[in-house]
Amino acid sequence: MSGRCLELTRRSLLVGGAAAAASLHTGAARARIRPQDMVPLVGPGFKPTDKDEQGLWKDMDRAEEEIAGSNLVIDDPKLAGYLKSIIGTVGGPAAHDFRIYLLRVPDFNAMMFPSGFAVVFSGLLLRMRNEAQLAGVIAHESGHFLRRHMIRAWRDERRKTDLFAIGSMVAGIGGAGAGVYLGDYVQLAQLGTLLSLFSYSREMEAEADAMGVKLMEQNNYPPIELSNIWEQLIGEENASAYYRRKHRHKGGIFDTHPSDASRMVDLRADAEELTVPGKAYDAGRKRYLSTIAEIRPTLLDDQVKLNDPGASQYLIETLAQDGWNGLLRFYEGEVWRLRNVPGDQLRADQSYAAAVAYPDAPADAWRWHGIALMKQGRPAEAKAAFARYLTMKPNAPDAAWVRQTMG
Amino acid sequence: MRRAGIFVALAVTAALSACVQTKQYADLEFTPPQGDYKLLVLRPDVTVGSLTTGGMVEPRADWTDQARASIIAALRAQQAARGGKVTIIEHRDELPGVTPEELADVERLNAAVDESIVEHKYLGDYLPTKRGNRLDWTLGEDAVRLGRKTGYDYALFLHGEDQVASGGRVALGVLGLAGCIVGFCAPNVGGAQQLDYASLVDLKTGDVVWFNVVLAGSQVPGIKFGDLRTPAGAAQMIDRLLGRMKPGEAVRRAATADAH
Repeated sequence: MSGRCLELTRRSLLVGGAAAAASLHTGAARARIRPQDMVPLVGPGFKPTDKDEQGLWKDMDRAEEEIAGSNLVIDDPKLAGYLKSIIGTVGGPAAHDFRIYLLRVPDFNAMMFPSGFAVVFSGLLLRMRNEAQLAGVIAHESGHFLRRHMIRAWRDERRKTDLFAIGSMVAGIGGAGAGVYLGDYVQLAQLGTLLSLFSYSREMEAEADAMGVKLMEQNNYPPIELSNIWEQLIGEENASAYYRRKHRHKGGIFDTHPSDASRMVDLRADAEELTVPGKAYDAGRKRYLSTIAEIRPTLLDDQVKLNDPGASQYLIETLAQDGWNGLLRFYEGEVWRLRNVPGDQLRADQSYAAAVAYPDAPADAWRWHGIALMKQGRPAEAKAAFARYLTMKPNAPDAAWVRQTMG
Repeated sequence: MRRAGIFVALAVTAALSACVQTKQYADLEFTPPQGDYKLLVLRPDVTVGSLTTGGMVEPRADWTDQARASIIAALRAQQAARGGKVTIIEHRDELPGVTPEELADVERLNAAVDESIVEHKYLGDYLPTKRGNRLDWTLGEDAVRLGRKTGYDYALFLHGEDQVASGGRVALGVLGLAGCIVGFCAPNVGGAQQLDYASLVDLKTGDVVWFNVVLAGSQVPGIKFGDLRTPAGAAQMIDRLLGRMKPGEAVRRAATADAH
């Protein structure tokens, strides 16, 4: 009696599948999914009726309770209401069924869960330059729900793993009966199953992009802004990688999402197709900036403390394309100060000096400007800067030290 | 003749590859609650899914609901027999005097501590400071505060997950068994699995005083180990998990010394 094990090691899988992988990767390029083909597959008040989908939703109940009650949730009624109103606008037929939570995570991400609740990371609010961009991301996430992606992905995975299990069993038995070992083919089949799962996921991301851009256009947001987000993200990743002397990841067969560049290009084509000449679109930049004004210092602070100076500097410069101000100049200074390579001290001091020239300079800009002036041997000006700091922040934890330094 | 022999050998192997394992740890000074005690059971975390042909676990809402109801009924019956008063909380806002946030904090802390217990007591990553057959973990002040506010003596955390092999999975196992005839024997593709664990926290000290894990599973689909959806299966699970609560080592040693 001979037994053969169906377990596959990662190594053998990679070696065995290299040829298949190469052939798949050089295959024909995926056609762009057109926004007009994207129609919502659920209506208002959707509730699952199939057993598998009901199970998925049930599983999500506790996940949502956990997220809603998480310490990471930013408890700000104004921002919560703002996000709710946006998803209520671009959410298509399910607009009023969605729940949306803002978590304090300094990272570019948003996600939709199978039962219709979305999570937005605070890092997204930092990166968006106007309401249209934020609405675009939320519309994309809504698209996942409206196109029923979670249950479709689940069923796809179930079908493919079922087929693989049966196929490898049959191959084993058939092979043993015929006296040949088909293990290598089984390994290739497993790799093929895996790769088709990833590509199915990429196709859904492309669908959500197309659906999202359509929802934006329908609600008078300039559709091109969704493509602009990817341009910004590519720039940020390049800057981050360049600083760390690495290369940005450009996409591969194991990716769950299409590459940023292909999404940018597809979305630009979508936007050109959808934009109606003469129609008045509103990116809502002023509304966006005034809504996030209070939380923006926190968002910048969290980003700067990630110790990713390449990305932080790129982000600040991108945001400054809409105009420099005291807040952005101050955090530019913080990036240099925390990086602390030769010359950064001077750069930081210059940024603080530039920051305090703006009326919105934060108190800490005055503090660091004062310290810089002290070091430069300009005590009178330093004293004035410190005094300004103490006026703005009378209960500063270091108030006693500052007073002593002022002399 | 030879083939019949293979079948017999296989049946024996199949039976052996299916088992129920349980291993409990207790605080040295632990005495199982008996008589007039008040027990708080926090959101029993029960899920039942179907094991697909390909080996994925598909959560099933109806089965999960059935299992939760059966387990709660079995738990009430079992605790009533011990003389305890039991309150079972299904949602975080059901406990008077305690905010959902406070309860969430205790639950999350317990989840982290449970993870640590499993890691260092069950998964082989033993700690030199926590050797031997004893349990030495605590939820600290948070749990004591919960006890003070609510008047409960103990909190019980309960987790149960059950995978029921689908028809397709059983068929795959049968196919694997049939393959033995030609020499490709793979009946052990993995079948029903049940993992349950429970931790008991003394709300006077905050200590985790008792912990138990039950792992029931079969490598061969089609062999069952108590189905959580049924009252009988749930009662069996509660009995395996909580029925044979042993006192701590110090207490047992003292009892043996007394007997001599």
